[in-house]
Amino acid sequence: MTAGSGERAFYAANYVLLAVITVTTVFPFLNTVAVSFSGERAVLSGEVAVLPVEPTVDTYRSVMKRSPILVALRNTAFVTVVGTLVNMILTVLAAYPLSKQRLRGRSAILVLITFTMLFGAGMIPDYLLVRSLGLVNTYWALWLPGAVSTFNMIVLKTFFSGIPESLEDSAMIDGANDLRILLRIVLPLSLPALATVALFYAVSHWNSYMNVLIYITSTAKYTLQMRLRQLLFDSSMMASITGTIQDSQDAQSVAQESIKAASIVIATVPILLVYPFLQKYFVKGVMIGSIKG
Amino acid sequence: MAHHPGNGLSPRSSLVAALRRDRYLYLFLVPVVFYYLVFRYVPMGGLAIAFEDYRMSTGVWGSPWVGLAHFRKLFQSREFLNVLWNTVFLNVYGLIAGFPVPIILAILLNEVHNLPFKKTVQVLIYLPHFISWVILGGIVINLLSPNTGIVNHVLKAVTGRTVFFLGDSAWWPTVYVFSGIWASAGWGTIVYLAAITCIDPQLYEAAVIDGAGKLRQVLSITLPCIAPTIMIILILRLGNMLSIGFEQVFMLQNVAVRGVSEVISTYVYRIGIEGFRYSYTTALGVFQSIVGFAMVLGANALSRRITGGGIW
Repeated sequence: MTAGSGERAFYAANYVLLAVITVTTVFPFLNTVAVSFSGERAVLSGEVAVLPVEPTVDTYRSVMKRSPILVALRNTAFVTVVGTLVNMILTVLAAYPLSKQRLRGRSAILVLITFTMLFGAGMIPDYLLVRSLGLVNTYWALWLPGAVSTFNMIVLKTFFSGIPESLEDSAMIDGANDLRILLRIVLPLSLPALATVALFYAVSHWNSYMNVLIYITSTAKYTLQMRLRQLLFDSSMMASITGTIQDSQDAQSVAQESIKAASIVIATVPILLVYPFLQKYFVKGVMIGSIKG
Repeated sequence: MAHHPGNGLSPRSSLVAALRRDRYLYLFLVPVVFYYLVFRYVPMGGLAIAFEDYRMSTGVWGSPWVGLAHFRKLFQSREFLNVLWNTVFLNVYGLIAGFPVPIILAILLNEVHNLPFKKTVQVLIYLPHFISWVILGGIVINLLSPNTGIVNHVLKAVTGRTVFFLGDSAWWPTVYVFSGIWASAGWGTIVYLAAITCIDPQLYEAAVIDGAGKLRQVLSITLPCIAPTIMIILILRLGNMLSIGFEQVFMLQNVAVRGVSEVISTYVYRIGIEGFRYSYTTALGVFQSIVGFAMVLGANALSRRITGGGIW
């Protein structure tokens, strides 16, 4: 066939192009890891690419010793776990009843809920509400205003409505009420969907920055993203960490850029650890949400 | 459609029976409805302060009414007009440079038949989507640093000069737009890949028999078939022309480039939350919502005219 060679050229070009795009996407991450493990001279000269130059782990040693990143890591874990729990409870309580066609008033409640996807009040009215409720500088300010994501609720509702009615009907005949049916039958059957939605929520808590910036005022309560941003921009905080290195004589000196890079790596590793699950479930969630929502 | 006919009972007793039967379901919904009313609808009432001189001490109900005064002030403010321009400019730039990227990527990915290669590419280009803008911004800043960044290291070796990308008003919008593409283009392919897999393979088989090459197939089959998906996403983007996410801009901006990097969300934060000008910034928010809503309706109407279909 005459198309043969042209087609082969197309495929070859396609593979090369995609490989280049992929490498370009990943390069900034690899560079950051390399910088975090490189010695001061190499980092300051800007020559570090994807492999550490004059490798050292002193950067990590000093970040672990002096940096408030570890406290912030604990705070973020707490905010993420409790926040996701609050999200899941409320989202299930919304999605399960609304997945029942028979429920009277269902359409009215759905309109009330979905309208908020089209129109929100915005930063200032939200802030004034949280303030008047006395939630400023408490983690409730991070948990309550976004307690239900309407998108996630619809994903879960779609899943629940796919569960065969017959399963619930037989339990109903045995005298089980809706709470028992939800806990004993519906939730165990929905574990993949629950995992998807929980991951959606958990990642958004973990990565949240703006809400912490607006609502959390005491530094002891700062989360990871907040501390990281401070570390990247505030030189006085940087000085308190690099000070560690001057104190100890055995360690070789470390560049500020390496401290920043190491902090970025520490903040990213937890996401990378769950990334295989995230990837798998998120794609599924996006599909359910976009096609049936 | 949500209502089942009562089983031969009178309407009222069937309603009572339905309420009793589903009492647990209603009980579940109580905290949910309460949540939506308090945290979503009460702030909408708070939009009233755009027409008042709001003070903390007097609250929404007690503050003096000033009508459209804040809106008038808004449009006389050069600062605001600059912020508005930046927001629209960055969005239009981002749309032109960024919108086609996930479509092209999806088409290219769809032509990959080596599954391990395809999976690897997907896993790696989805990655930035899961990383916060604080981290992505930090990486971009380090990468582009004039003294210690690898980009300028290479640039200096090649051209002998360095560029302070993030501190240069001419460069900043480009860094903003392309870091945005880096962060979201991979993830954006999912929707298009889903649309492409829905295309009937017989169309391609017929095209091959007619002697159509790859490019012809993409132009005559793939693109027309995913046009509705492209249209929906385009409409949603056009409706958001006045909103730019806070975190990416906030991370990348600095004092030297304030003139090109201040957008509505960062401006509202700075003069609203930090500067306590609640009524003025709420007026800005109301303006933003109204224009955004009008843009979605306009784009939808346009899409119906052109393609015969819109979102609704």
